[in-house]
Amino acid sequence: METNNTNSFEPKVVAFVCNWCTYAGADLTGTSRIKYATNVKIIRFPCTGRIDFMLLMKAFANGADGIIISGCHPNDCHYTSGNFHARRRWMIFRNLLDFIGVDVNRIVFSWVSAAEGAKWAEVVNESVDQFRQLGPATSYQKLIKNSEFQEVE
Amino acid sequence: MARIGVFICHCGENISATVDCEKVAKVASEFPGVTVSVDYKYMCSDPGQNMVKEAILEHNLTGVVVSACSPRMHEPTFRNACAEAGLNPFLCEMANIREHCSWVHEKSDATTDKAIDIVRTLVEKVKRNEALAPIYVPITKTAVVIGGGVAGIQASLDIADAGHKVVLVEREPSIGGHMSQLSETFPTLDCSQCILTPRMVDVARHPNITLYTYAEIESVDGSIGNFNVKIRLKSKSLDEKLCTGCGACIQKCPVKKIPSEFEQGLGKRTAIYVPFPQAVPNKPVIDRVNCTYYIKGKCKVCEIVCPTKAIRFDQEDSFVEVQAGALLLATGFDVLKTNFFPEYGYGKYEDVIDGLAFERLASASGPTKGEIRRPSDGEIPKKIVFIACAGSRDPAKGIEYCSKICCMYTAKHAMLYKHKVHEGTPYIFYMDIRATGKMYEEFVRRAIEEDEVKYIRGRVSQVYEKNGKLIVRGVDTLLMGQAVEIEADMVVLATAGIASPGSEELAQKLHVSYDKHKFFSEAHPKLKPVETNTAGIYLAGACQSTKDIPETVAAASGAAAKIAGLFSNDLLKRDPLIAVVKKCAPPLYSSCTGCFMCIPVCPYQAIDKEEIKDRSGNIIKTISHINPGLCQGCGTCVAFCKSKSIDILGYNHDQVCAEVEALLNEW
Amino acid sequence: MNNLQQKAQQLLESGNYGLIVGYEKGTSGKARPVFIRKAEHASKLIFDESCDQNIAVYLYRQEIKHNKKKVIVANHHTLKSIVELAAENQVFDGDFMVLAFAENGDIIELNTFEEIEKHVATLYHGLTEAEAAMMKKIEDMSLEDRWAFWENEFSKCIKCYACRASCPMCYCPTCTVEINQPQWISVPSHTLGNLEWHVMRAMHLAGRCVTCGQCGKACPLELPIQLLTYKVALDSKQFFDSVAGTSICADNALAIFKPEDHENFIR
Ligand SMILES: Cc1cc2nc3c(=O)[nH]c(=O)nc-3n(C[C@H](O)[C@H](O)[C@H](O)COP(=O)(O)OP(=O)(O)OC[C@H]3O[C@@H](n4cnc5c(N)ncnc54)[C@H](O)[C@@H]3O)c2cc1C
Ligand code: SF4
Ligand code: SF4
Ligand code: SF4
Ligand code: SF4
Repeated sequence: METNNTNSFEPKVVAFVCNWCTYAGADLTGTSRIKYATNVKIIRFPCTGRIDFMLLMKAFANGADGIIISGCHPNDCHYTSGNFHARRRWMIFRNLLDFIGVDVNRIVFSWVSAAEGAKWAEVVNESVDQFRQLGPATSYQKLIKNSEFQEVE
Repeated sequence: MARIGVFICHCGENISATVDCEKVAKVASEFPGVTVSVDYKYMCSDPGQNMVKEAILEHNLTGVVVSACSPRMHEPTFRNACAEAGLNPFLCEMANIREHCSWVHEKSDATTDKAIDIVRTLVEKVKRNEALAPIYVPITKTAVVIGGGVAGIQASLDIADAGHKVVLVEREPSIGGHMSQLSETFPTLDCSQCILTPRMVDVARHPNITLYTYAEIESVDGSIGNFNVKIRLKSKSLDEKLCTGCGACIQKCPVKKIPSEFEQGLGKRTAIYVPFPQAVPNKPVIDRVNCTYYIKGKCKVCEIVCPTKAIRFDQEDSFVEVQAGALLLATGFDVLKTNFFPEYGYGKYEDVIDGLAFERLASASGPTKGEIRRPSDGEIPKKIVFIACAGSRDPAKGIEYCSKICCMYTAKHAMLYKHKVHEGTPYIFYMDIRATGKMYEEFVRRAIEEDEVKYIRGRVSQVYEKNGKLIVRGVDTLLMGQAVEIEADMVVLATAGIASPGSEELAQKLHVSYDKHKFFSEAHPKLKPVETNTAGIYLAGACQSTKDIPETVAAASGAAAKIAGLFSNDLLKRDPLIAVVKKCAPPLYSSCTGCFMCIPVCPYQAIDKEEIKDRSGNIIKTISHINPGLCQGCGTCVAFCKSKSIDILGYNHDQVCAEVEALLNEW
Repeated sequence: MNNLQQKAQQLLESGNYGLIVGYEKGTSGKARPVFIRKAEHASKLIFDESCDQNIAVYLYRQEIKHNKKKVIVANHHTLKSIVELAAENQVFDGDFMVLAFAENGDIIELNTFEEIEKHVATLYHGLTEAEAAMMKKIEDMSLEDRWAFWENEFSKCIKCYACRASCPMCYCPTCTVEINQPQWISVPSHTLGNLEWHVMRAMHLAGRCVTCGQCGKACPLELPIQLLTYKVALDSKQFFDSVAGTSICADNALAIFKPEDHENFIR
């Protein structure tokens, strides 16, 4: 989907998704030819339980403006409970980030099943809109610049 | 140095209509480590696959990225192609530029750029892929079936007929379960014993089946393919080899007034007993709680009368250990007991009985020889009130589920009553009639239309005794909640089906999950209804949720087919994408701290402890260990372990980090 | 000689015990840890308000880990850490004796984990008023101010890892910061790397931090980093009713789940 305003900022977004639900759901979005923003690129994991919070830190440190995390709905996990474990992890992690002043609106969590191709497109489009409104992750980018400068030194 | 081949597919025009495939191939050819990068109309066609194979051979590739459709579609295709060209299949990855790119975006530079990003990400991943080999687990082709109801009987026979060994463990003195107590069965009204007994005998005779009755599971270790099951054989006070089952002991036993469990207390049994005449095995056990010898230290009448000298008063429990490749849970169900229904006078009035007791009254081999006579005075009741949903669908009492079998057996009971007592009047209080099986609705209609069973839609609030009658008070919701009061001679409660006692302990011994009502949980409610979450352990019948006989038998045969399928190979082949606890050189051996916090994380109980020992066998440290037979590769433990001591093949730390970096950084 | 010193002397003289880990007078009114092996040195031991350091960390130090005749003088922080370490299989029942103190100053001997757990149940588990006030101060800031506050704090960290060394729960032989394949956390101590380090440290203490504040006390630059682990501790309590250092057999808050765990942010 093209943005109306050509000057508008295009956030870099990475999506961490589980293989069984959201990855398959995103496949269905494709098969159904539903369009969404090009900003979002997917990395496949076996399960949301595999998604390490450190990878979210890595994504921010590598210039992500937004992150989407998505997996199977509660009770639908291919591995029965990986998503429940993930949910606890995100409850703690999200609050911690908020506590240090990171805007948690830069991370979108969702449950998208293998049948919810349309929901995946919605999640992506809404997230990208949300990230556009938040603008570039400047506070983090400042730190990144700073660190590059020091590592070169 | 990595030598990666990148193969960009146009998918006819499915990809190339919106993605500039030539450009993607060209840009990818400049990625570090990429040796060849080409695009082609149909990568999955024979010529396309040949391109991949030839490139592997020509450039001696160390990895392949096929940028095409979803890996969920063609990953096996391309991995096979790679294997045929001599490249380990796990060194091949797919970049999904169709479902996740060309189909969801318009033609634009942004779309092509996204495809490039996706390819770059997978190139960085594949550089870090390792050659992997499937895991093979040897299989012991013996199944242990726990519970000898109709489920366990059916499954044992099916597995044994498929040529595999079965060990059937039943905790009561005889197999048969609840079905052996039933009189006639819905929806055909055929005699339960008549169809079940031949199967029980088949079990006893089958050369592939070893039957242990009066036995329970003591412990289970190991995993799929190789369980080690320890079975406790409770002492029967009998040498079974010598006993001929003549029954002389039973006739002479002086303790004759013990309420028979099999007869639901409506009949009596002796202290040395077989639970019912058709029991398999048909050899007695001594009930030590009621036997005079065990209570008072003398009697031994049975020992004296036994012609083969088979009685053993000093026998102790013994144990057998069985190696098994698979376990089947078929421990069935139970029904709610008296204390649950103070308002119905169950347990207080002799003539308020449950459905199982009614089965015994209606059974030709039961305590009344099949005549419906009420327990208190043996009179033939002129009016019986049947109360359906006694305990079921009652969240306030903690059972919100529908027991499923009661509507049907209550209709059956009313019909049997009517068939036997023509002038009698059966009433049924019900909430809804659930008759969804084959010929079930017709069966219920027959009860209403032909046998004039009086159905009253409503709940019963109270049952009490007045002038020798049981007064049943309820409402008729179809008559605007009008109060109804019926003077009955007998009341039969369709008490809710509940998990068999001891289910929770058994589940814990086997590490299988169970729901809040203690019924065992299936691995997937739709697609894996006869598997548990623990690989190699299956379930069948009413131990999963109350089921009728057709469903129970279907599940039993299904589980048996699964087990026979498992046993059809000598080795079990498993995907190698599983977690491992990383090891390193001494003195550290592993960064694992032995905190064992990861153990409860695993949904499959795949994590246990491993002792690291020096040459002389002293324990140096204890770390966690992942059982490759059990791990399903979810990776939850990987993300959990704070010391990063667990990694998962195929999605390892290095790979996923590289993917994140590559996705966000252009070159 | 006070009670504690007498007790220590007796224990060492009895020959049943060979080492007492406790506190002695340090410089400028502060107490510091001391290791007493001889009865005649028992008089060095003190126990008063100044002994606020969490010394559970010494229990598994390589040098004394295998000494089965040791005694530890424990303040309430140390006690909670011992319980948490027990839950995490880092210390073992019967490997040491604990000397704790009743309200009135009486010495309480605790020999088994069960006894320790019981005693810990009588202790207060929340933050002090001053600590709670600090938390509130930060939570009340605007998002931008919070970021500015922590950016400033993180910029000062020199990655000396004194915080890690002081925390009894940081016992991993290889800390994730030391892993270089992949390099989870950048090596130099720039603000970004420091932020990552502290977020990681806090996450790793979820359901485990006993809110002793030792990490913050250990920091040579006085970064209030204990507040980060307090945050995860408070959330673990609020969301999952999990309080570290209260049970020797409880599973970690993030190692288990409840289907009904409630959040309001997943779409
Ligand atoms: C009153 C009533 C009437 C019914 N009428 C009909 C009908 O007409 N038609 C119909 O289709 N269905 C009917 N049913 C349902 C039928 O009884 C069940 O479908 C059937 O019995 C289920 O078989 P099962 O093998 O799963 O369980 P069960 O029959 O309960 O057998 C389980 C067996 O496992 C054993 N066991 C339990 N725990 C252990 C353990 N830990 N170790 C070893 N062994 C153990 C038990 O002793 C038992 O032998 C009726 C049920 C009731 C209550
Ligand atoms: S693998 Fe990790 S979580 Fe598991 S015991 Fe070892 S250190 Fe603890
Ligand atoms: S990867 Fe998943 S299934 Fe395998 S051991 Fe870890 S938690 Fe268990
Ligand atoms: S926070 Fe303080 S103690 Fe911890 S590493 Fe940084 S400077 Fe060192
Ligand atoms: S306050 Fe700091 S030192 Fe104390 S347990 Fe928590 S993280 Fe460790």
